[in-house]
Amino acid sequence: MKYRLFGIISILLLLAWQTLDGLIEGDWGRLEGGLGNLSVFFSESMWPPNWSVIEARPYPVCESEIEFFCSVGYLGMMETIKIAFVATILGFIGALFFSSLAARNLVPLYVAIPVRILLSAIRSLPSLIWAILFVIVIGFGPLSGVLAMTFYTVGYLGKLQYETFEGMANDSLEASRAMGLPRSSILLNVVIPENSNHLLSQLMFMFEYNVRHGTVIGIVGAGGIGYYISTYLKFLQYEKVFALLILIFVVVVIIDLLSMMVRSFVNDEGDVRRPTWLNVVLSEK
Amino acid sequence: MVEAVLELKNLSVGYDEPLISNINLEVFPGEVITILGPSGIGKTTLVRTIAGLIRPLSGSFDLNVERRGGLGYIPQRLGLVRHATVAHNVSLGARTRVGFSLNMWKERSQRTMDALRMLGIADKSNEPVRRLSGGQQRRVATARTLAQRPQLMLADEFLGELDHSNVEIVFEAVQNLVDDGTAVIMIEHHDDNAQLFATRIWEIQDGKIADISIKEWKNRKTGGEEE
Ligand SMILES: Nc1ncnc2c1ncn2[C@@H]1O[C@H](COP(=O)(O)OP(=O)(O)OP(=O)(O)O)[C@@H](O)[C@H]1O
Ligand SMILES: [Mg+2]
Repeated sequence: MKYRLFGIISILLLLAWQTLDGLIEGDWGRLEGGLGNLSVFFSESMWPPNWSVIEARPYPVCESEIEFFCSVGYLGMMETIKIAFVATILGFIGALFFSSLAARNLVPLYVAIPVRILLSAIRSLPSLIWAILFVIVIGFGPLSGVLAMTFYTVGYLGKLQYETFEGMANDSLEASRAMGLPRSSILLNVVIPENSNHLLSQLMFMFEYNVRHGTVIGIVGAGGIGYYISTYLKFLQYEKVFALLILIFVVVVIIDLLSMMVRSFVNDEGDVRRPTWLNVVLSEK
Repeated sequence: MVEAVLELKNLSVGYDEPLISNINLEVFPGEVITILGPSGIGKTTLVRTIAGLIRPLSGSFDLNVERRGGLGYIPQRLGLVRHATVAHNVSLGARTRVGFSLNMWKERSQRTMDALRMLGIADKSNEPVRRLSGGQQRRVATARTLAQRPQLMLADEFLGELDHSNVEIVFEAVQNLVDDGTAVIMIEHHDDNAQLFATRIWEIQDGKIADISIKEWKNRKTGGEEE
């Protein structure tokens, strides 16, 4: 059994290698050159990160006592987080609506299939393209960002959700169906609570995803930290870009920790009270 | 004359091949029927057919119950929402019966609490079901049906892992329903549980159902012992 898995992975790896070799037509020399370029670029242009991005901007005058709150890094990051926050919540609710109409164990096939096609249509445009569309239609700014991300979130979360729903044990569905609970009630009172663990982790994942992508859609003018990144890129201030990237990384890690905490309320792991530092800090005693 | 809650008319059940064929039986209010038979013979299949979850292979059945909440079903795996609280699960039963009105919340929680108390799990009401023991989970499933007060209750081996004291608690709850005219069809593996509850036994053998009154059943048993 172990050997078979090993064999399959080896074959896949070989296949990927072959394909890559075909793609680049055997020109591996560029990779070596690239590595050299990267180290030069990194040491000369990006290192050290320029932490002026977390100091107050020269203009407008800082009114807060703490300089950080007037910095490009903080303001940009906060706008990105806010955009991601709103879009994730709106998208989550929209996704629940569609996913409950796309899961084959909840609705008949003739409903599920069109809804699935709709979801994959929404998903087939990356959030960057949605952002460009909305910037064209309603102009620059965070509203475009919110709408772009909401759309993408619906498509993406919707798929994750209906697959989760389809994977659930059907005995609770059967019991409630036989009892005569209406569909809406089954969704709200059986399906959603039973999958709350997965739904929450998907929600947190999507939030993190949207924060990360907030950097990209900012580049096309849909608000957030990406605006500053693209400006610094334009003016070749790579040290500042690097500092902002580190900031994003820190935020993503924090979201991940948050997600772990939130989920511990609903999964089985949360039942075992292990003496972690979190429990020690949060315990009532 | 009392109307039957369930009438099986030349019913055959199964997935591709019939497992049990040409069943002609009636069930009246207040009857308690225990289905007995070896593993894999089609007991669950029959009950799921009556619950409307799979189509009959041939024949038909008439279900004389209200569409909403008239039928109660406890699947072999209980069908509880494991991540929700005990009270939430039991309130699902109440939900089917309490229509929209100003004090529906109060009515629902009243029904829920009554059922929880009757089964001795009121102190667990805010625990997630997944934290309960197997026997306690069975009592939650019973409480859900009790809060529903269906006209026909289908239970698939819900006494399974219960010890004697638990069986009595559950028995009392089911008796409470039966006294109100609920008909019960349950699948059991243990003969003694069957005798404790049933008014009739449906014994499945070789794709057929033998309908046996409890009196005859007991006679047969003692007769067997004397031999
Ligand atoms: N979903 C299904 N699709 C196809 N065949 C099934 C399905 N579920 C059960 N069966 C088959 O139908 C037969 C009867 O199953 P059923 O669950 O009704 O048995 P049972 O009498 O309830 O047994 P037990 O006492 O072990 O619960 C079995 O042979 C089983 O393999
Ligand atoms: Mg069975």
